Amino acid sequence: MSDRMKSIVFALVLCLVCSSLLTAASSRLQPVQERNFQIDRRKNILQSISLVAPGRKYTGEEIDRLYKENIFKYYVDGEGAIINPDTLETPEQSGLMPLYLAMDEDSRIRSYIIPVESNGLWGKIHGYMALKDDGATIEGFTVYKHSETPGLGGEIENQWFQENFVGKKIVNPENEFVAVAIAKGSAADSVADEKLSNYVDGISGATLTGQYLTQGLHRILKKYEPVSLNFRQNALQCRMQNHEPWCEDPDHE
Amino acid sequence: MNPGVKTLIMNKTLQIFLRPIWTDNPINIQMLGICSALAVTVQLKTAFVMALSMTFVLSCSSLMISLLRKQIPKNIRIIVELSIISTFVILTDEFLRAYMYDVSKQLSVFVGLIITNCIVLGRAEAFALSNPPHLAFIDGVGNGFGYGSVLLIVAFFRELLGSGTLFGIQMVPDVLYKAGYVDAGFMLLAPAAFIIIGLLVWLQKAVAGKRELDQ
Repeated sequence: MSDRMKSIVFALVLCLVCSSLLTAASSRLQPVQERNFQIDRRKNILQSISLVAPGRKYTGEEIDRLYKENIFKYYVDGEGAIINPDTLETPEQSGLMPLYLAMDEDSRIRSYIIPVESNGLWGKIHGYMALKDDGATIEGFTVYKHSETPGLGGEIENQWFQENFVGKKIVNPENEFVAVAIAKGSAADSVADEKLSNYVDGISGATLTGQYLTQGLHRILKKYEPVSLNFRQNALQCRMQNHEPWCEDPDHE
Repeated sequence: MNPGVKTLIMNKTLQIFLRPIWTDNPINIQMLGICSALAVTVQLKTAFVMALSMTFVLSCSSLMISLLRKQIPKNIRIIVELSIISTFVILTDEFLRAYMYDVSKQLSVFVGLIITNCIVLGRAEAFALSNPPHLAFIDGVGNGFGYGSVLLIVAFFRELLGSGTLFGIQMVPDVLYKAGYVDAGFMLLAPAAFIIIGLLVWLQKAVAGKRELDQ
């Protein structure tokens, strides 16, 4: 066999061996990895409404239990009506957007949680934003996946940055939708006082990440604005087949 | 085999294992792998997992490359080495993602970047290609430990001074915090690792250099 042939054969065999090894490992480990990912996302949802503490460790079962007890996944349509997923056959295809509801024991909605997907400087930023049932106040914000630079834009996954959002408003004092934005540096220094409730402190050295996240949050919150508006006007319409506990009887009041 | 030859072999093996830990340390002496040493040493836990991953990749890839050293065609040598190394790195990454999800999230890209760590390819080229498998394996383990020990020392100081904890357990008593002690936030930033590594290099050169002069 010539040298060239030998090289080609060797390379082919090596590729075959390496790729089958990797395929085997990845298909074997995939269920475990996906389970981890699911727990992590659920933990983030719970964290956005402060049901889990950021520092503490939780087992997968604990997270599952807390999640099942408190969080219910629904969908919203373009007009902000909340739809029970059981009444839908293919929710993902019908243009509906997922919405997580946190309910207390009396099945009253405490807050609603919006999945956030925003552009970042280097890649997508994924997280959750929880809003109180007044449809205006942010209860929490978390990030579970991003590709920002560690130590700079990567700070978005840290507690101090996420705590910034707690109590901020997505509406201005006139009750009009404005979303929430990330300031350049400290919000108190760069933003007028009356707008302070719509701005959070930025990360120094990560102005671009802040800009992308501001755009992303604006886009997402705008998409969910109909449902927020319904919460604000306390006029949650129930256009669904099944009766839901939060559908207040119109004659009741 | 007479006992004299046996001890000689033992000594050689031991030397191959010990050299990279002290006199030929990949970070302190050869100045390789500094980038990851800055990135993963904020906490002992991540440093420890990174050290283990690195040792695994180094020893396994050195062993494989040494086993194949007579078959590997010279003209595609580097590509073959890199394929073997990256296979082990991806395996490690997948494993961490499955069983140590939190740590793998913190390590983020740095496990994947072991592929580009000069130490691994360096050992493959400089040692594994020209030595028998068992020695190549020991050389890999030694280099992994040499790299890992520096990581752990740096992480020890950064976590203790920067967060007041070790392996996540609080070390600085609350009394001190009440008395006005503040964690050095600077320790959490990459330049702190640079300074600690610099001090380690100085210390080692001073001690090892002196010993060399004595001999």
